[in-house]
Amino acid sequence: MQLDFVNRELTIKLVYYGPALSGKTTNLQALHKVAAPGSSGRLMTLETKDDRTLFFDLLPLSFRSQSGLAVRLKVFTVPGQVIHASTRRLVLQGADGVAFIADSRTTETQANTDSFMDLKENLREHGLSLRQMPLVIQFNKRDLPDIRSDEEIAKLGAQGREPVYLAVAMRGLGVVESFIGLLHLTWSALDAEHDLGRKFGFDAREFMNGVAKKLGEQRGTDELLAACVGGALDVLRPEVTP
Amino acid sequence: MTIPAQRDRVEELTIGKGARLEELVDRESLSQLAKSFAELSGVGMRVFDSEGKLLADASLPVELVTYLTSLKHAKNAVESTVSAVKNLDPGPAGQASIDGVSGARYRVMALEHDGRRVGRLVLGPYFPPSLVDIPSALIELEPALDLDRARGLLVMAPRVTDEAMDRLARHARAALDVVMFSGLKALLTGSMHLASVRESYRELQSKQDKLQVAYDRLKELDRLKSNFLATVSHELRTPLTSIIGYSEMLLEGIAGDVVGEQREFVTTIREKGEQLLTLIKGLLDLSKLESGTMSLRRGTLDVAPLVKDVTQTMAPHAKKKGIVLQADVEAGLPALWADGERLRQVLLNLIENAIKFTPTAGSVRITAKLASMAAASGADEGGLVLLGAQRTAVEFRIADSGIGIPESERGRVFDAFYQVDSSSTREQGGTGLGLSIVKRLVEGHDGAVRVEPNEPAGTVFVVAIPLKRSTLRP
Repeated sequence: MQLDFVNRELTIKLVYYGPALSGKTTNLQALHKVAAPGSSGRLMTLETKDDRTLFFDLLPLSFRSQSGLAVRLKVFTVPGQVIHASTRRLVLQGADGVAFIADSRTTETQANTDSFMDLKENLREHGLSLRQMPLVIQFNKRDLPDIRSDEEIAKLGAQGREPVYLAVAMRGLGVVESFIGLLHLTWSALDAEHDLGRKFGFDAREFMNGVAKKLGEQRGTDELLAACVGGALDVLRPEVTP
Repeated sequence: MTIPAQRDRVEELTIGKGARLEELVDRESLSQLAKSFAELSGVGMRVFDSEGKLLADASLPVELVTYLTSLKHAKNAVESTVSAVKNLDPGPAGQASIDGVSGARYRVMALEHDGRRVGRLVLGPYFPPSLVDIPSALIELEPALDLDRARGLLVMAPRVTDEAMDRLARHARAALDVVMFSGLKALLTGSMHLASVRESYRELQSKQDKLQVAYDRLKELDRLKSNFLATVSHELRTPLTSIIGYSEMLLEGIAGDVVGEQREFVTTIREKGEQLLTLIKGLLDLSKLESGTMSLRRGTLDVAPLVKDVTQTMAPHAKKKGIVLQADVEAGLPALWADGERLRQVLLNLIENAIKFTPTAGSVRITAKLASMAAASGADEGGLVLLGAQRTAVEFRIADSGIGIPESERGRVFDAFYQVDSSSTREQGGTGLGLSIVKRLVEGHDGAVRVEPNEPAGTVFVVAIPLKRSTLRP
């Protein structure tokens, strides 16, 4: 997070993590597609010849709250391929929140686990623990055959601490829900730590509703947040509550 | 963890204060873009960065303005307009216009990148079509003005409606936006590339440090092991000497007659004791060699008597197993500068080994002749002239017709404790120390030892001991 008091400007870094080909870039493309022109900059992709992410993708989003605070969201993806370990660690540096994009297919279960362990390890390298990091998990590719069942995910999700979302990023389904869930958790954690709401006279609920609208949503924040299966959305991470 | 500068750079470009206009565009290319815009629209274009520095200038001469600058009062007015244009803040709307005394208009626009102002774009001068005559303010200001000439030049001046200028400005800004985006992408790719390389390097370095620590620890353990071996061997030898000594005294009948099975048992005790002593001496030798505390007592050593001596020593042993032991020493070999006792130990060890692994009715042959050997290791791969001259050496070859050593094992037979057949049911005894001691003793003489296959079966151990340079024949 970068805070510019003079210009009343807040920059938040969100990172989409996950195994190779799980749909991190597709999530950003879907967000870019639905975002209102004034809210979204160009989607920058630093990719190799075969369309695989080499360093990262970056989608800049910006919103202005009624109190006049400019909130700039920089949404990154990491390169999923195993060989780009050091790049992933670099991109993760300074992240305020993480969306973990998992591939729903049963064959990818191990790849999801490996990538999640990699996330944990890289956070540790930055001196952070998974518990401290605002995190949502998205099970993508729900339209494919041979996927882990809704029941299984719901059951496991209910036991876990992170909100879990189901998505078909290719068709834009579940993308905004996951994003709003991540933004909600991230904002709450930052607010708890830095007391941003009071300092800037910032109404988080009004702001989140504004963001949802700018992302082409008719539904309000509550409804979007409720799309998750399991996990805790009330920022009830005791570590960050003041 | 240290943070490499390039990572800070990536952070600054993405979530920090962002890039400066000058970093995002190539000035030469920006000038060409401005020039091409001016040619297309007939209106000049200039680009300033956020500090007011001019990055590109493609102004077109407008004859009316040129004429006015040749007049005293009008010149001042034109200059103050130009200076006002330079410093005009486009305001929250992001664009503003300014009119000069001649009626010439300039359009100033904010250049934004990633939601922040990085510079300004100035288009002009141009004249709105609504301007039909030279403004009266100018006529009043400049008494020397030639009104007919000025009117003639106004007709030729570029005319652009504000609507058309809006479109042109949007186009110019869009083109610059693409340029800036591409610039940022290239800048980020470069910075990220460097940061990744540095991060990988840091990772490798930290692994390397860990390996070094582990390696140092292993070396220390190895040293401790050698010390331990030396101590234990020494401590074992003392009581063993007593065991052997007292068994000998028993056999000599000092404590009374030893008869029948008693003699047989005591003999066994003495023999096994001696066997154990040999083994312990070997261990002690090895640890001394490993710790570098064994010193060679070198002297002039004739080869023929040495070979004769070891052959005679081993002859009964060979005979007992029905093996033919032959020796062949080239005539006129020069004397070696070596430790006779240690070299004898080497040859005995190799011959004993050869006999051990050769079946009954086989043969073991020891030969000694002059040969050449590479002075420095690695010279056999080339560059001999640089790595050192060939040295002349006496080469001992101990060839047997035994079971042989598979090629894959040949490199390892000199490792301490290594046995080609390490199964518990192996046919031959031994500790696996002999050859590693041989190798160290030979190397102590600057020599070399290697294994070759014998034809049609068996093994040849080749020991080369170099001559002192002064003993070489001319």
